[in-house]
Amino acid sequence: MEHHPEIDEYAGLSSPIHNWDPRAKLIAILCLIFSIVLIPDLRIAFIGLVIALTLVFVSRIPFGFMLKHLKWVIMFILPLFVIVSLTPSGGIERASLISVKALSAVILIFPMIGTMRFDTTMKALEKLKIPKKLVQMIMFTYRYIFVFTNELHRMLTSLTSRGFSRRISIYAMSTTGKLLGMLFVRSHERAERVFNAMVSRGYEGNIHTLVDFKMRKADILKAAILIAIAVALNVVCLTVI
Amino acid sequence: MRERVISITNVSYTYHDGTPAIKGISLDIFSGESVGVIGPNGAGKTTLLLHLNGILSSENGSVKIRGRETRKENIKGIRRDVGLVFQDPDDQLFMPTVFDDVAFGPINMGYADEEVRKRVAQALEWVGMKGYEGRSPHHLSVGEKKRIAIATILSMSPEILVIDEPTANLDPRAKWELIELLKGLPMTKVVASHDLEMVAALCERTIILDEGKVVADDTTASIMSNTALLERHGLAPAPRIIEAQSRGSNQVPSPNG
Repeated sequence: MEHHPEIDEYAGLSSPIHNWDPRAKLIAILCLIFSIVLIPDLRIAFIGLVIALTLVFVSRIPFGFMLKHLKWVIMFILPLFVIVSLTPSGGIERASLISVKALSAVILIFPMIGTMRFDTTMKALEKLKIPKKLVQMIMFTYRYIFVFTNELHRMLTSLTSRGFSRRISIYAMSTTGKLLGMLFVRSHERAERVFNAMVSRGYEGNIHTLVDFKMRKADILKAAILIAIAVALNVVCLTVI
Repeated sequence: MRERVISITNVSYTYHDGTPAIKGISLDIFSGESVGVIGPNGAGKTTLLLHLNGILSSENGSVKIRGRETRKENIKGIRRDVGLVFQDPDDQLFMPTVFDDVAFGPINMGYADEEVRKRVAQALEWVGMKGYEGRSPHHLSVGEKKRIAIATILSMSPEILVIDEPTANLDPRAKWELIELLKGLPMTKVVASHDLEMVAALCERTIILDEGKVVADDTTASIMSNTALLERHGLAPAPRIIEAQSRGSNQVPSPNG
């Protein structure tokens, strides 16, 4: 079996963030993310980054695991940094501000959803009254993304074993295009079969699961602390500037 | 006389592109029977199975499950009575965990939480997968997925179990374990496959489907002993191959030669 890069790989650890009620955790960390995104000052944004890293440290998720995933985010932030710092309305400081905030927000994803199993996250979203269609879409994306990547790898293996190499040429590009087309067709066919399987077991548009969440005082206290920090970050900005 | 649980009359189905999949099929299946539906690839086996719980429906013909037609007003009850296990367990198992997947049917049927938990535990015990509740489908082997796919149906306690190619992609050990598991299930069974070994071990009655039609319907023993019949419908090697093998020859004459 292939090893997949799963976000909930460290859901089994135990830490103050792991044993936090999923609903309280989602709301509190989301507040913090919004607050960090709104910060207009680079120095305060750095404090936000430190808070994000502290939460990862408290959650005991290995930094190496986080960096491995951040690689892709950094590949996205870096060009943005270069472009913004070169524009007249931007400049290095503005570019750094955007980059630090983006990085902090993404880092906070790890303590937020990396500290519980993915199905728990889904149940928490459901309990928080997130639109059901959206929850189902996220759930199915996560369930089938590995099935589709496996399918893509099988097709690529079959091409490679018949002498195909990924070069930059019209031929290679048209083959890759056809490959992607096939993947879409297969996904569509699978979606129909999955839908049949769901309907066969009484699906009528809503997915229900059994959930037993319990909100304790400690959960509320943790959420209150984090939300207070989130508010403070922006209040400080008002006084500094 | 045993109760007639499935009654199919003159059912045809044509795909959107005009290709006929099944043509005028009529057959009856009785309570407690184990029926094998065999036939070559593309014979219409899966299409026929999809008619049994009303996912597909025929314009002219009718499918009755214990006297009720597979129409909209009956569909809920019919889908509770007829449990359909699909060929690819990745289609059958769509929830993030084994527990949620096995609980999906019972929850939709409106059982109380306690009853749902009881049913999940029983179904997993039945297929020998106790302790797998928290696992994700993409961490399971094909054999494990197949067992859990069956559990997702057993938790709804159907009267009729309809299974499409249960032994596809299984190694011999997993295959024979699955056959033993299916043998132990008491409900009426309809099993589509071209795995004759499995059908011979599991079913007392066999139906051959070819080019969308029922071409034979008899006891499994008499169908399996009729080599000419099996060969005619792509279920046994052609005579020229058998003959060449019995001569000990490596040279199999070409179909035209």
